[in-house]
Amino acid sequence: MDLPESAGLGRVHTNKIKIMEKIKANLIEHVKSNFPEVTSKDYKGNRLDLNVKKECIPSLLTYFKDMLGYIHLSHITCVDWIEEGEFELVYIVWSPVEKMKVTIKTRVEREKPVMPNIDMIWRQANTYEREFREMFGIQFKGLVGDEEFLLEDWEDMPPMRRDFDTEAYVDDTFFHRPGREDALDVREEIVKRSREEIPDFAKKYSR
Amino acid sequence: MREKATTLYLGPQHPGITGNMMIRLKVEGDTIVSAKTEVGYLHRAFEKLQEKRNWLQSFTLMCRFCVPESDPMEESYARAVEAIEGREVPERAKYIRVMVLELARLASFMLWYGGQNGSLGLYTMGQWSVGDRNYILDLFEELTGGRVYHMYIWPGGVRRDLPKGFEQKVLKTMDYLEKRLGDYDDLMFDNAIFKKRTQGIGLVDKDTAIENGVVGAVLRGCGIKSDIRIDDPYEVYHKLDFEVPTAEGGDIWARALVRRQEARQSIRIIRQVITDMPGGSVYNKVPNPQKWVLPKGDAYVRTESVRGEIGLYVASDGGNMPRRVHLRGAAYVHGITLLEDVLVGENVADVSAIMNSLGTCPPEIER
Repeated sequence: MDLPESAGLGRVHTNKIKIMEKIKANLIEHVKSNFPEVTSKDYKGNRLDLNVKKECIPSLLTYFKDMLGYIHLSHITCVDWIEEGEFELVYIVWSPVEKMKVTIKTRVEREKPVMPNIDMIWRQANTYEREFREMFGIQFKGLVGDEEFLLEDWEDMPPMRRDFDTEAYVDDTFFHRPGREDALDVREEIVKRSREEIPDFAKKYSR
Repeated sequence: MREKATTLYLGPQHPGITGNMMIRLKVEGDTIVSAKTEVGYLHRAFEKLQEKRNWLQSFTLMCRFCVPESDPMEESYARAVEAIEGREVPERAKYIRVMVLELARLASFMLWYGGQNGSLGLYTMGQWSVGDRNYILDLFEELTGGRVYHMYIWPGGVRRDLPKGFEQKVLKTMDYLEKRLGDYDDLMFDNAIFKKRTQGIGLVDKDTAIENGVVGAVLRGCGIKSDIRIDDPYEVYHKLDFEVPTAEGGDIWARALVRRQEARQSIRIIRQVITDMPGGSVYNKVPNPQKWVLPKGDAYVRTESVRGEIGLYVASDGGNMPRRVHLRGAAYVHGITLLEDVLVGENVADVSAIMNSLGTCPPEIER
């Protein structure tokens, strides 16, 4: 792989943009020669987005880690696009040599979502996947780890899904503390309870 | 003779644990055989709440993710929103942001000094450093009105300009703290007990570090030079002159040496920022927050905090509320898979020191 070595300097210099463009072009060429189905979107600066099918995720990430030097898995996130009936999983990898941030995106259907597991590539992915299993209800094939991560005895819908109504859940689960339902005026309530007059200076603030 | 294994539940409320989480330890005698992190005691669903709040209301939740690191979180959010919207930030605001971030870093180092030494029984250091941290909090109070949560760095710039004579006060505090760091060295790094309790304890080697996605001082303590401020510079860090200290060894001692140098680098950065700070406005005004709509898109920004890389992913669906805000703190990686590995074979008395050294912060794991 012939990438310019000067890209690893880190400090901003005059040729930085040109070098970034070169790195990106090289990267896209390499990825597309091995994964023809990948589509890419270029951004300003050191960001490059790739879109792939979910089946390609483990092989593409392994390729990035072992062949292209993107050794740091910076983040995995999940976004619920409920209108489209899909979850979007976003894997962000970083190369300390090229100083490039590659965002790899994939979509998975919302109904019974199943994703390939990647914790054999990066160990910390295990934590993310356990969280998504619980919070979004995504199953990761072959994921090892306790069923419960943050929640305890949870039987409701996975709570980070967009259609989980937090307010309704709170209303159903907990009772309201008496005296708060109708937003009482605190001063009037104190007067009522203590049977004392409101001082003059405070009257103008009272309803 | 093999000793019988006992299960020990450390936490969720324990003075040695750096927040509300539990570690289920299996011990034989004093030696840890296996460790399992149990979280779930502190989930506040911030990320869920933010989906129901507009862009400016969401910002007020950001600083509350983790107490000692409020400013890097705010700055990440501001920068992510600006990246999605394409909003420019005035140059002066960028300098002020760096000054605030570095002051926050120093304040956070002071807490670490206290925590790290407290976990080893050297309580004097905590009295000193938390006392000295108050001088930084005084500065914050004057600048932002708050001591711990500032809500100062918001999308478009910073909330207000520096008060009159503030720069001189900062410089005076820096002179004082620089002197105090020397005193800390005498108490901590020249201390035979501290050396004995930290050298060779909590080892993280280079391969484990890369495999686990380790960041920050823990990675630099393995001899790997890595700092977001240099590698992926933000604000005005690329214009500043500072060094990234590293140390060899990968133990608590090495990480302490790294942090010791980093605190001095922060003072160096603050002095530069104050000297170089240009004039001008500090805020590129955002529209009426109730009607403020961001274009569809997403952004991932990274910030170097005291404990390592903070990553924030923000997605917008083109509305006036975030579609998704997802924070990745250093503790998300260090506090679970790495900690579980590192603790095996260690003495049960060192758990707290190792947790402090790795920068485990449970609020960041649960959010």
